[in-house]
Amino acid sequence: MRVVAITGFLTALVLFAVLEWAARRENSRIPTLGDVCAYVMRYEVGPVPVGRIAVIGFWWWVGWHFFAR
Amino acid sequence: MDQQPELSADVPRAWDRPVFSVPILAFLSLIGGQLPSFSTAANLYTIGLGGALAWLGLSHRIPRRAVPRGISASASWWLLPALVFGVFEAATFLLGSRDEFPTFSKLADPLLEGATARSTAYFAWLWAFWGLVRR
Repeated sequence: MRVVAITGFLTALVLFAVLEWAARRENSRIPTLGDVCAYVMRYEVGPVPVGRIAVIGFWWWVGWHFFAR
Repeated sequence: MDQQPELSADVPRAWDRPVFSVPILAFLSLIGGQLPSFSTAANLYTIGLGGALAWLGLSHRIPRRAVPRGISASASWWLLPALVFGVFEAATFLLGSRDEFPTFSKLADPLLEGATARSTAYFAWLWAFWGLVRR
């Protein structure tokens, strides 16, 4: 079961890397992960930048989760 | 006399260039990489540093890069790795994150014990954070 978990996570990471590589090719129709994040961060509800708060808050939590606890 | 159209090219400010930002982020990462997990110092440092970057990202104190007006349907390809990761993270978490079927963070913990690997991962986190702040 441990091998299954490791294989699953590695597959996801490799897919992330392959897609980013594909997105950075010339004339690629796939946006980069940064562009996807920027698009999500545009989302607002009234004056509240919900998308921006969510993405930045999520990344803040990731750092705390891995480096502080 | 014809007026020159206003130029709107993205010219990064001096402090926003990699030659300045990389050494600063590397220095901050070296400090962060020395702090052990579960320590008060690691909590304060990560929350403080992340808080400062979050504040910069949510305020308008830093110029942001041009935002894409829309994204193509090809963006849905990004759901594939996110789904694979999400399924495995949810499954391992719901089954108790045991050694036989660990979550991603449980797998990463031993890798992040060494100061070099920890500082490198810290740098990746800060570098991505800095990128998000300017988006």
